[in-house]
Amino acid sequence: MKSSATSDALRSAAAGGTLRSASRTRAFSSACPADTKINVQDVTDFRRRRGDLVFSLIMVAVALFFLVFFFTQTGWEDRKLPANMARYWMDQFGITSPEDRPARLGRILKQSWIAPLACLVVLVPAALWNLYGSVRAYRWRARFQLPNDVAHELTQWARALEFVAWFIAYTMLVPVLGYLVSTLLLGTALPWRLGYRGKRWMGICLGASFAIVLVFRTGLQIRTPVNIWLYDQLPQGLSTFMKVWF
Amino acid sequence: MEALWQGIDNLAAWPVLVAILIGSVGGLAIGAVPGIGPAIAIAILLPATVFLDDLVSLVLLLGVYGSSMYGGAIPAILINTPGTPVNALTTYDGYAMTRRGEAARGLSLAYSASFFGGCFSILLGLSALMVFGPYLRDLGALFGQRDIFMAAALGAVLLIAAHRRNMGIAALLFAFGVLIAMIGRQSLKQIDRYTFGIDYLYPGFNLIVVIVGIFAISQALFLLTGKDADPPEARLRGGLLRGFGELKQHPAVVTISAGYGTVIGIIPGVGEFVAQFFSYATARALSTEPGKFGRGAPDGLIASEASNNAVPAAAMVPLLALGVPGEALTAMMMVVFFDAGIKPGPDIFENNADFLFSLFIALLIINVLVVLTLLISTRWIARIIYVPNRLLGAFILILAFVGVFSIRNSFTDCMFAAGFGFLGYILRRLDWPLVPIVLGLVLGSIMIDKLTAGSSQIKTVFDLVNRPVSGTLFVVILCVLAFTFVTSLRQRRFEH
Repeated sequence: MKSSATSDALRSAAAGGTLRSASRTRAFSSACPADTKINVQDVTDFRRRRGDLVFSLIMVAVALFFLVFFFTQTGWEDRKLPANMARYWMDQFGITSPEDRPARLGRILKQSWIAPLACLVVLVPAALWNLYGSVRAYRWRARFQLPNDVAHELTQWARALEFVAWFIAYTMLVPVLGYLVSTLLLGTALPWRLGYRGKRWMGICLGASFAIVLVFRTGLQIRTPVNIWLYDQLPQGLSTFMKVWF
Repeated sequence: MEALWQGIDNLAAWPVLVAILIGSVGGLAIGAVPGIGPAIAIAILLPATVFLDDLVSLVLLLGVYGSSMYGGAIPAILINTPGTPVNALTTYDGYAMTRRGEAARGLSLAYSASFFGGCFSILLGLSALMVFGPYLRDLGALFGQRDIFMAAALGAVLLIAAHRRNMGIAALLFAFGVLIAMIGRQSLKQIDRYTFGIDYLYPGFNLIVVIVGIFAISQALFLLTGKDADPPEARLRGGLLRGFGELKQHPAVVTISAGYGTVIGIIPGVGEFVAQFFSYATARALSTEPGKFGRGAPDGLIASEASNNAVPAAAMVPLLALGVPGEALTAMMMVVFFDAGIKPGPDIFENNADFLFSLFIALLIINVLVVLTLLISTRWIARIIYVPNRLLGAFILILAFVGVFSIRNSFTDCMFAAGFGFLGYILRRLDWPLVPIVLGLVLGSIMIDKLTAGSSQIKTVFDLVNRPVSGTLFVVILCVLAFTFVTSLRQRRFEH
């Protein structure tokens, strides 16, 4: 996995910092630009970014959403608990001695609402704690007049949505044109959109897309949609061949 | 011994050997590309494993896992950019060697140290299996449902504690992952949890859909919206064999580093980073010339590479012995175990001992194969560094579709994977960790299952911790919590 922590490290590498080379006069074998050093701290360090506050608020909203629906969506209405819970817990920890045979804890633990409750006990405070940290970081950045504008970050998120749309369009195209044609189409159109144009790039992209189809569909026989509109328009023999192999 | 021979026999099949070859070479290539890592490759390959034999699937994924760090050392040494995050420390001394015109020496030392580290932990594991195998068969009796529950809880605590600087976020995302795992119809009481009457949600989210979304699609979006890196030209001169001879001059460093990788790799949630830091610090402390560290010291490079390559075999131990994955990659492998109907856990020593031997021997073969491949083809593999990032993003997106769709023939799965991909993209942008969500999904499911299964034995709260194993693990959890609390307080005071 290439974590975002590494991205930090790479950025730090790009930013500068002199590498103390013992013998600078000898020939280099790498044309890597001005010597940089990856800081170990960068790999494990964490700094809140622009947009952190917005996402922290979203996470609080998500936590509260789960909390609000806990009472109706987890079987909480059908809970089976001892009448006096305070006394029950005191009995459990031996603070008081039980008057009669206490309900087995296991009977409570296997009820459907217990696990969501345990989760919410962590999720809600953690979301609020994180929001507090995010607000503090926001104020700190504002105080030192560091870039704090979330619009830039939201624009980046919106940019990613364009490629999510490509992915969804591809998903919807497969039952119409088939896996082979759709993959060749996306495998060339998306690189074209990204700026990889010209015969060489298109050739590479077509080859790579075809290889993916050959490996996954033809070779590994991985399931792809079966009712393909385009394949149904083909003559019977060719249609069957395409459905089986592509 | 019978299990050992059976394990070797299991591997002597063409599909298994081909999977080892593809996994090893593929992992090398993937590791060598800065921007792609083994997690993405494994996430994309996971759905394909449904169609493959269980051993074939596992050795394929192990191949990717075991070889990616070898590949990651190439850009770390040649262009000062780690191929995988765990190669970050390799840049310290590896790139300094390249600047001195000793790139081939650096690579050669990295390969030999990696090979030693990998083989050290595998042979240790194999020896332990052979020596303690008969006793391990009795281990099943010691580990009940409550013990596994407590082991998973320890994994969760260690995972959160390991995120020193953002424990709140790690806890938040872990709990979020567990909640996602809970969505759907509870099998025991047939009660729907957070389904809101939506048919799709009744069976719950498929683990592979979430993994592909969070790791693969999010990385594709990250690459697609980023800029192409323009890596500098790197030339390689000289042979790659001399490092194997030079390694003999640093026996203490390489052995201690491999030992750190093995021991720390076993601890769930801690991983390669900690092992590397310990190894590097120890190597510097042992060195007669500590001032050379960071300036091309061979012991620094050896420490980094030997320790991180010792981790994959060690990380399999908690997964196989307890059924508790310690990090994202082994969590993904757990999915293959689920599909294969093999229950990792103490019973595996009794029921599938040959399978265990097969996995460890496969890892050994992978290490040998990778080193041979590298010795022959480093110059060609190094060219992979120059594949444009955004083009890779486009093809990861294409591969993600086939991965997700093939699981259940469901377009809704693809939509949800896209949604999780977008979530993962935002997390990457904000530098929030992704691993807690996936481990929350896996460990959360284990914790709930084990607690439910063991509920008939729990009369009082003390029944959770009154067994030897669960009690010990509970004490360890308390110690970790106390240690984390104290060190966090100290760090805060220091910062203020």
